[in-house]
Amino acid sequence: MKAVLIGAGQIAQQHIACLRSLTGVALVGVCDLSRGVAESTADRFGVGAWFTDHLAMLAEARPDVVHVTTPPPSHFRLAMDALAAGAHVIVEKPISTVPTEVSTLLHAASERRRVLIEDYNYLFNPPVERIRDLERSGDLGEVVNVEVAISVDIVAQGSPFVDRDLAHPCLSLPGGAIADFLPHLASLAHSFVGPHRTVRTHWQKRLGDSPLPYDEFRAVVAAEHGTAYLSFSSHARPEIFWIQVDGTRMRAAADLFDPYLVVNRLDGGPRPIALLRDRLRQARHVRLASWHNFLHKLAGGPGAYQGLWTLLARTYEALQSGVEPPISARQIAEVNNLVAALTAQENRF
Amino acid sequence: MNVLVTGAAGYLGRHIIAATLKRGHRVRALIRPSTWIDEARWGGAVEVFRADLRAPGALTPAFDQVDVLLHIAARVDGSESAQMADTVVGTERLLEAMAKSATRRIVLASSLSVYGWTAIRGTLTEDSPLETDLYRRDCYAIAKTWQERVVRRMCQEHDWALTVLRPGFIWGRDRAYPAGIGQKLGRWHLVFGPWSRPPMTHVENCADCFAEAMENPRAVGHTFNVVDGHDISSWRYLGEYFRRTGAAGHRIPVPYHMALAGATLAEWINRWLCQGRARLPGLLIPCRLQARFKPLRFSTRKLDEVLGWRPPLDFAHCLQRTYTASAAQQCCTSATPEQVQQVQECLTSSQSRT
Repeated sequence: MKAVLIGAGQIAQQHIACLRSLTGVALVGVCDLSRGVAESTADRFGVGAWFTDHLAMLAEARPDVVHVTTPPPSHFRLAMDALAAGAHVIVEKPISTVPTEVSTLLHAASERRRVLIEDYNYLFNPPVERIRDLERSGDLGEVVNVEVAISVDIVAQGSPFVDRDLAHPCLSLPGGAIADFLPHLASLAHSFVGPHRTVRTHWQKRLGDSPLPYDEFRAVVAAEHGTAYLSFSSHARPEIFWIQVDGTRMRAAADLFDPYLVVNRLDGGPRPIALLRDRLRQARHVRLASWHNFLHKLAGGPGAYQGLWTLLARTYEALQSGVEPPISARQIAEVNNLVAALTAQENRF
Repeated sequence: MNVLVTGAAGYLGRHIIAATLKRGHRVRALIRPSTWIDEARWGGAVEVFRADLRAPGALTPAFDQVDVLLHIAARVDGSESAQMADTVVGTERLLEAMAKSATRRIVLASSLSVYGWTAIRGTLTEDSPLETDLYRRDCYAIAKTWQERVVRRMCQEHDWALTVLRPGFIWGRDRAYPAGIGQKLGRWHLVFGPWSRPPMTHVENCADCFAEAMENPRAVGHTFNVVDGHDISSWRYLGEYFRRTGAAGHRIPVPYHMALAGATLAEWINRWLCQGRARLPGLLIPCRLQARFKPLRFSTRKLDEVLGWRPPLDFAHCLQRTYTASAAQQCCTSATPEQVQQVQECLTSSQSRT
């Protein structure tokens, strides 16, 4: 399959590295508004052609798949152009921040029988997949609540989000820079508790002297199969991407930045013994995962982007074999509905 | 001449403005909107133009009535994409604006990091090969190489007069410990190849070289390496640093070839065990270690032969300017007209001694 990429920034390098590892996939073009960036990316990764005009690339390369890895405000237009050119499209999150644009894209993809994927990469990180296995096998029981918490210092000096000379493209999104993280929170919550029914949010600007409209966010979500508590913090330390799924039989929790999974369950036997066994098992898992992560960092590899690699590999497998893609149109619609609800003024406390 | 200086709030940029004012030119300093700078330091001799190189459309008025562009701006830290955005995309935006103006002369601050240090033996000159295995080098080398490529291509397309200056390690007041003289590890300072002569250029010498290249018509079409050629070892640079700052620490001599052997072994293990994917520190990547510490010789001959330029400050004066607080030093970064006159006197007297 022939793939091309529009937007050669930081995340594009992960897409390219993954594409190079896939069999039967050739990256035949890369496009960026900057000639130097487009050319250097093509030079570095041995891509056959580089462009500064995406329409010229679509016409010349005639790709099967287009990866859109530009800043969010351009996603809709570029994805529409790619669909119009007859390509399947993989778009970085957020696919759009306007609900009508999301439905327009999904409709266009459906009409042309093309696959449209929004990058919910953390759904495919190994600890999240393991939690889903526990849910499917029944070990977790029924999901009661899911908690997803991201803590990233986006207000730190040098952070592109607080660059006072060139406003970050995400600042134009509802919710500002935090909106860039909402698809991660929403897609993870949605995957365990389904589409939302009601949402209540709290947005806060803790650091007064910052170009960000908000730097803290909390949300409580009532959904079809349970509840969710979502949070983003610019100030809590250490930085973490935490998910905890509470089931009727066990709790499973994982850090996705420094991946490890701990399962909290009480087996049979006297409660004190069961507790002791459970805590010792958790300690062993954390210890082993810590060594594994340390060695993994030394050895290189995708790290926290492991899920992106898995998502892309499964997407191309699906496209080649004609089976269902790993992310469905309905999922994209429901996740974006939740994102819209999280940013809506009427849902604030 | 009317001179537009980018990176004007940076370390080299501030000194270049002082050197340019000293030669009687009119300066427009391009400074980011959020960068605080004491404009009074220039005594009204500099016009400040606030803009960010990455912002499209904001730069065209900066070239109004400008005869020559001194392009110094570049990012020296951050991720590769951040450095590419600032250094390469910023340069593209700047030159797109220049293409809409009458300005036809540009002096670019490049870097010795663009050379292929692994392949070079003996003396590094302007004819030495450039890096061919670029993407094993650090982000700075990658961004500076592409910046130079972008500038050369644009100059060719628009028939602009270009001079490229490639400074070595820039040192001076407030920057007495550049990366080329050692690696600090707590109280310990590793000096790789302690008797090698690193390619140092004192910031005032370097700034004077830029001013000379800007106004000397013989510089057009040439590339020059900018080093002082003082023949001073890394060991001595660091010794002077300890002695004159009173900083506590110990110098540890590390034979260069031993360090290179260690880096080569680390690279071999990385390839063998991790398919080359392990993220090693720069000192354990041979080409990066070489670009910092390889004991080459560095010639100042081309600057002398083509421009007749020699560094105005000898090593003793460089040390004095770096470590001794005085009005003469201050004026190089905050040049009021009276101070500019003082600098001229200082430089004239030091030139006569060299």
